[in-house]
Amino acid sequence: MRSSGAVRPLPSPARPLPFAPADVPALPVPNHVGSGMAGGAAGEAQCLSYTGCNFLRQRLVLATLSGRPLKIRKIRSKEEDPGLRDFEASFIRLIDKVTNGSRIEINQTGTTLYYQPGLLYGGSLEHDCSPSRGIGYYLESLLCLAPFMKHSLKIVLRGVTNDQVDPSVDVLKATALPLLKKFGIDGESLEIKINRRGMPPKGGGEILFSCPVRKVLQPVQFTDPGKIKRIRGTAYSVRVSPQMANRMVESARSILNKFLPDIYIYTDHMKGVNSGKSPGFGMCLTAETINGTILSAELASNPQGQGAVVLPEELGQNCAKLLLEEIYRGGCVDSTNQSLALLLMTLGQRDVSKVLLGPLSPYTIEFLRHLRSFFQIMFKIETKTAEEEHMGGEKVLMTCVGIGFCNLSKTIR
Amino acid sequence: MEEKEKKKHRAKHSGPKAEKKRKRYLNELGIGDEENARKRNPKAFTVQSAVRMARTFHRTQDLKTKKHHIPVVDRTPLEPPPVVVVVVGPPKVGKSTVIKCLIKNFTRQKLVEIRGPVTIVSGKKRRLTIIECGCDINTMIDLAKVADLVLMLIDASFGFEMETFEFLNICQVHGFPKIMGVLTHLDTFKNNKQLKKTKKKLKHRFWTEVYPGAKLFYLSGMVHGEYQKQEIHNLGRFISVMKFRPLTWQTSHPYVLADRMEELTNPEDVRINPKCDRKISLYGYLRGAHLKNKSQIHMPGVGDFTVSDVSFLPDPCALPEQQKKRSLNEKEKLVYAPLSGLKILSFQEEVRPNHELVQSLISTHSAIDVKMASSKVSLFMDSAPLGSEDVGQEFVMPKEERQVDLKTGRVRRKAVFEDDEKENDDVASDEEDDQEEEDEEEAEENERVLLREGVAVRRAKRLKTEVAQEEAVNELPAFADSDDDLEMSSEEEGETAPADSEMEEDEEEEEEEGDIQRTCGDESSDSEFEAANKRAESKQYDVNSERAETKSQISQHSPKRKAVLTTDSGNCTAEEASESEDDNSSLEEGDDEGGSHEELEAEEPNRNSNRNGFQHSQAKKADSVRQTKVKTVDIEDDDVENLLREEEEYEEKIDLSADTTGALKWKEDLTQKAAEAFLRQQRSTPNLRKLVYGTAVEDEDQESEDADDELGGLFRVSRPDKASKQKANALDCSKFLVEKPQDWDLEEVMSSIRDCFVTGKWEDDKDAAKLLEDDEELYGDFEDLETGVVHKGKAAAGKEQEEDEKMSKPEPEEEEKKKERMDKKRKLKEMFDAEYDEGDATYFDDLKEEMHKQAQLNRAEFEDQDDETRVQYEGFRPGMYVRIEIENVPCEFVLNFDPHYPIILGGLGNSEGNVGYVQLRLKKHRWYKKILKTRDPLILSLGWRRFQTIPMFYIEDHNGRHRLLKYTPQHMHCGAAFWGPITPQGTGFLAVQSVSGTTPDFRIAATGVVLDLDKSITIVKKLKLTGFPFKIFKNTCFIKGMFNSQLEVAKFEGAAIRSVSGIRGQIKKALRTPVGAFRATFEDKLLMSDIVFVRTWYPVSIPTFYNPVTSLLKPAGEKDTWSGMKTTGQLRYERGIKLKQNKDSLYKPIVREKRHFNKLHIPKALQKALPFKNKPKNLEKKGKTPKDQWRPAVIREPHEKKISALLNALSTVNNYKIKKAKVKHREQLKEYLKVKQKEDEQKFKRQKEAKKKVYRILGQREKKRQKSSLKGSSQMRK
Repeated sequence: MRSSGAVRPLPSPARPLPFAPADVPALPVPNHVGSGMAGGAAGEAQCLSYTGCNFLRQRLVLATLSGRPLKIRKIRSKEEDPGLRDFEASFIRLIDKVTNGSRIEINQTGTTLYYQPGLLYGGSLEHDCSPSRGIGYYLESLLCLAPFMKHSLKIVLRGVTNDQVDPSVDVLKATALPLLKKFGIDGESLEIKINRRGMPPKGGGEILFSCPVRKVLQPVQFTDPGKIKRIRGTAYSVRVSPQMANRMVESARSILNKFLPDIYIYTDHMKGVNSGKSPGFGMCLTAETINGTILSAELASNPQGQGAVVLPEELGQNCAKLLLEEIYRGGCVDSTNQSLALLLMTLGQRDVSKVLLGPLSPYTIEFLRHLRSFFQIMFKIETKTAEEEHMGGEKVLMTCVGIGFCNLSKTIR
Repeated sequence: MEEKEKKKHRAKHSGPKAEKKRKRYLNELGIGDEENARKRNPKAFTVQSAVRMARTFHRTQDLKTKKHHIPVVDRTPLEPPPVVVVVVGPPKVGKSTVIKCLIKNFTRQKLVEIRGPVTIVSGKKRRLTIIECGCDINTMIDLAKVADLVLMLIDASFGFEMETFEFLNICQVHGFPKIMGVLTHLDTFKNNKQLKKTKKKLKHRFWTEVYPGAKLFYLSGMVHGEYQKQEIHNLGRFISVMKFRPLTWQTSHPYVLADRMEELTNPEDVRINPKCDRKISLYGYLRGAHLKNKSQIHMPGVGDFTVSDVSFLPDPCALPEQQKKRSLNEKEKLVYAPLSGLKILSFQEEVRPNHELVQSLISTHSAIDVKMASSKVSLFMDSAPLGSEDVGQEFVMPKEERQVDLKTGRVRRKAVFEDDEKENDDVASDEEDDQEEEDEEEAEENERVLLREGVAVRRAKRLKTEVAQEEAVNELPAFADSDDDLEMSSEEEGETAPADSEMEEDEEEEEEEGDIQRTCGDESSDSEFEAANKRAESKQYDVNSERAETKSQISQHSPKRKAVLTTDSGNCTAEEASESEDDNSSLEEGDDEGGSHEELEAEEPNRNSNRNGFQHSQAKKADSVRQTKVKTVDIEDDDVENLLREEEEYEEKIDLSADTTGALKWKEDLTQKAAEAFLRQQRSTPNLRKLVYGTAVEDEDQESEDADDELGGLFRVSRPDKASKQKANALDCSKFLVEKPQDWDLEEVMSSIRDCFVTGKWEDDKDAAKLLEDDEELYGDFEDLETGVVHKGKAAAGKEQEEDEKMSKPEPEEEEKKKERMDKKRKLKEMFDAEYDEGDATYFDDLKEEMHKQAQLNRAEFEDQDDETRVQYEGFRPGMYVRIEIENVPCEFVLNFDPHYPIILGGLGNSEGNVGYVQLRLKKHRWYKKILKTRDPLILSLGWRRFQTIPMFYIEDHNGRHRLLKYTPQHMHCGAAFWGPITPQGTGFLAVQSVSGTTPDFRIAATGVVLDLDKSITIVKKLKLTGFPFKIFKNTCFIKGMFNSQLEVAKFEGAAIRSVSGIRGQIKKALRTPVGAFRATFEDKLLMSDIVFVRTWYPVSIPTFYNPVTSLLKPAGEKDTWSGMKTTGQLRYERGIKLKQNKDSLYKPIVREKRHFNKLHIPKALQKALPFKNKPKNLEKKGKTPKDQWRPAVIREPHEKKISALLNALSTVNNYKIKKAKVKHREQLKEYLKVKQKEDEQKFKRQKEAKKKVYRILGQREKKRQKSSLKGSSQMRK
């Protein structure tokens, strides 16, 4: 990546003639056109400048949605191995794939990135994610962008479906999709399908993510999480004994049964080509409340050849405890999806939206700051202490007025 | 008389009597009453056809739903901005007169000249902004976009003019505001009938344009150059009760119709470069949507800008306070028209000093020296900081003193407008003077510095608080943020201790301005007191003593000072606290300016410490005073080293924390708290907002200081940045890891989330058991009627008991009970409502209800917050009077400023400031006389903007291909694509070819709507490539001249080609030589003379030309002469350049050669094989008949000759006879026919008459019969 110098929108294969025969519909019309922004009175929005590689995803996503150019400097400039990593480069390529007319410039060492967003295009795509990060890393950003494409997005992502760093695809499927539905992004085509599971380090998983397109989002008032009525989950195992999953389920139930009887954890053992390239197992748990709030927790085994061997019983117990921790934090949106909920609130119509969250994660806090610099939006943050003793920790009530975002990519007929 | 009596009786056909009769009659007949027909004859009323029934039902439902509009959330603010009334019409129609009359009608004031918008209060709940619209199409376009109501003036003596129609069309495109027609010049009609006719004619034409029934006003005549009072009054009434529909564009974008402009450029910059970009501020009511600071705006006629600052000001033309009166009194009939120069004086009195100060305090964002150097206004604006600074300078050079006086004098002069302020300032300056005198007497320099500074700060503070309530709030945080305990205690003590008037003063200033007089008195006494104190102290301590001593003092007191300093940053985080220290230190290290800042900053804590002193003991106070004094001296001496050392020492002290004074202890607590908050974040402190956004709103002081610093170029570090820097290169992960997992095996930990589950305890209002109980209570005791068992509501009984108990208990519980009851009632009602309404609640109703709820929520959410905070969350809401600062405005805008032209600031949504490809659906206007040509520049009005661009027209083919058109179709929509500003889909636009000058023709060339925004081109044009066969085999052919290389051919392999004669074929493969030649196969053999072509589509690049119409930058008087890029046609015409035509394109007389066809030659072999039918027949010419085949001649005998001659003669005679007879017969026939015709005619005549007679008789008979039958029926009825 760094050696290549620049990720530019790839020009279409050598085109000696810019025209094509009439009966061959494949018009050599360039899909990605570098839009030379005209200067002058139609002023470009001011370029935002940041340093460091952290929060790269949110910056790129927000720049794309707000249409403001972005410059990121000093990406790992002090480190031995400076510049963008392969997974970041892969992410930038993905952004380039889903947009049309965006300009991305990276300097020789890869320590500076300039991004001028184009319009979100969507369509049927495929992307090979870097196995050093999970698909969740990519999927999280796609969840933010997908509702605002020109054509509804249908993308096949290949890579690591479950790992220890990023929210796994299972969790996103269980939590993010219901969240999107609450903002009016609904329909048959909204789905995440796990075709193959892939565990680190080699990956080999494959998912299909499709999302319909919306012009405007609905405001939400999401202040009462309600009480948890059931706990569901998935215990998966690939290229290991299928008994692992059962052992995990057993131990997780032993802890959760103290709180609730309605627990069902699916065991998902994938075989053959569907099991990816590396062995591993793990589980994700979701707690659903009567109001449709879904809180989640997950845990995966150490990748092959890294760290100590994890017992499935231990993992199951730990995962259950993590879920309890998440329940303690509470809120109407679980901690991984806080930023997604806040973004969709921001991009709503000019109405008041409210959401009750658990404690804000560092990622969310930074996201709020970014939201302010990209959209000039500030959230009203109120701390809510649970009135009664046994309702978990303190909650945060986030209120904002949407910016009246409308999908500029969508075509009208 | 007799005749009258003879009048026939008329039977009743209707009414009760007739009805009764009829009923009786029917009963007699046995048919019964008619109402029961349904009952009587049910079969006749059954459903004949289910399908038909369904259809009729469907149709009625369709019609019903058609009437619905999609409900939208009502986002109108509680106090809406003035309604924009645009008065439009052709020249000399009486626009200004109407405006003047309206203003006079509403406000009893006379405007001499109207320039720019005039805002008036027209009623208790409505204000109007009236603006005149000239005939310049630029103005018309701009104003149509912001108008709520259009008064369309029409000269009745002339009829409609083009301007009227143009304006109507502009309105139609940019959302249709309310339009009211006004007919003027009606007194020119002498003939009343003519007048009536004209009125009617104009009315109907107007109706077809607007909508049938649109209001058209008649202003019949002029009296002393004004319209009739009554008519204007009626017009005013109509305007002030009119309802407006929300227009999509207007409700989704913020906009300001500026009514005032101010230049803020540094005069020095202008002096150096008169053409430098300017900084201006524009004032006006915000309309439409919420405006956010730093957002992008467009000024039609100028360009795009980023708002550098927004602030809201007190309303210059406020609605009267709510009261029960029916009408406004004279005082409330305000008029505000700064551009017209009306009531500038009063305006200044009321507004100027206030908002200037507000402005300066809300955002002092340019460095002070810059401001000082700038205009008089800005000097005034920063009076507070200036004052303090100047005092500081004054200490260095006493000469400055006069300047200060001058300045205070200036302040006073300004403040003349407000009595209170003047008095205050007088007092303040008096006080100051007094103190100065005292100081001089004392001749104790350090003392004076201290005192003066205190005064300066205090004065600045007072100014701030006087300005407005908000400022008081702004001011507060410095204390509010500091430890609550301290303040609380001080407040408590403030009441008891009379000496502590300072505290009181602060509080009072917040609450009311009226008492300022008294407070000032207090303060002066207070300051005197202080001064006395200090004097006493200064005797003890010789400030000019050795440095070592000072140092020791510093080392003694530095911890405390530091601790106090940290109060600024509040109890947020340790990091912050340390940072604020950093700030301080760096400030101290900085230049004079920084030093002055530091002084200001340091002064606050000093005051705090002062207070402490007061609270606890006199002695302590003396200490603190000494300490602060020492410090200030230190600062004044710029002893940086000292300070640095001081800090080091302080840090050590912190580490030790052995010597914990009260303040230090408190601080420690704070850091601990902050650390907790920062690290764990589980415990979200009230300062979460601060944690996220850096500075809290309440902490306005600090924020503004930060801003100052930033602009001063001293500081760039804001806390979130710093925080993020630490983790700038950390792992980018959204997971929120649990840092300190709790032990979930413990019972208490488990119980902490016990109630999160359905198995846990429920809230009272949701718990099933509780609800059941409630129900029981609610319905109380009842008797089962069947069994006779009486059920007693035991809960009720219990309740009674409880109530009894409660009687003795205090009231709050009673109230709670009451509240509970109310809640219950409400819930019941809701339930009932839900049940009751369920019957006919449709989807539409639900939707409406939802929208209504949302609107209520929107209103309620930020209602209780003060504007300052609210603005941060929502942005500036419509209805506010705002001041918008813009930088980098072209100097022409200021130099050529003409108030007659409207200045509009239109807010742009997200990425609407960007440019890209825009696709439109466009239709040439049917009144525009020309058609439009692709690639000719066109001026579009789209969104807020007017700009020139080069559109390409296209049409969509059946397969979705966008094919380029050379011209717009005449009466059809076509697509258009251009490079220009991104505007949301569905936005309407209009196009004109030129905005300069006037033409008698209709100027609007095309209208349409935005369909799509894209970054890539999709328009193609047809391209035919031709080639020639150079070698022909049977059906295969080598073709050259079509392509230039093998690669090109490769691209087209398999493409369909065709010869001109219609033989189809396909490209096969490239040949090696000649270059670009290829092999192709055809369905038939080509000729060498054939031309082969391939049809291709070539993408057309759209010229990236976007040129905003900068009409407002033109010099005054030439603003309607903007001309952009010219079309080639125009240029040719202007320069007389003729188009050079291609010779081949010219028509020539067609000379066709005679075609010569060769004979068809069929090979012999083939001939043989052919069936006989198809065989060429050898019809060769017969040769001469040979002699032997000749027929012999016949020679007659003489006898035979004779016979034939005789026969010949006889036949001739006979023929003649026959001929003669024929002629004769024909004549006879003719005669006969003549006679016959005559006879026929006569016969016909006779028959006709006879028929006539018969019919007459028949008719009479019929009549009679009818009469008799009628009679009969009537008789029957009887």
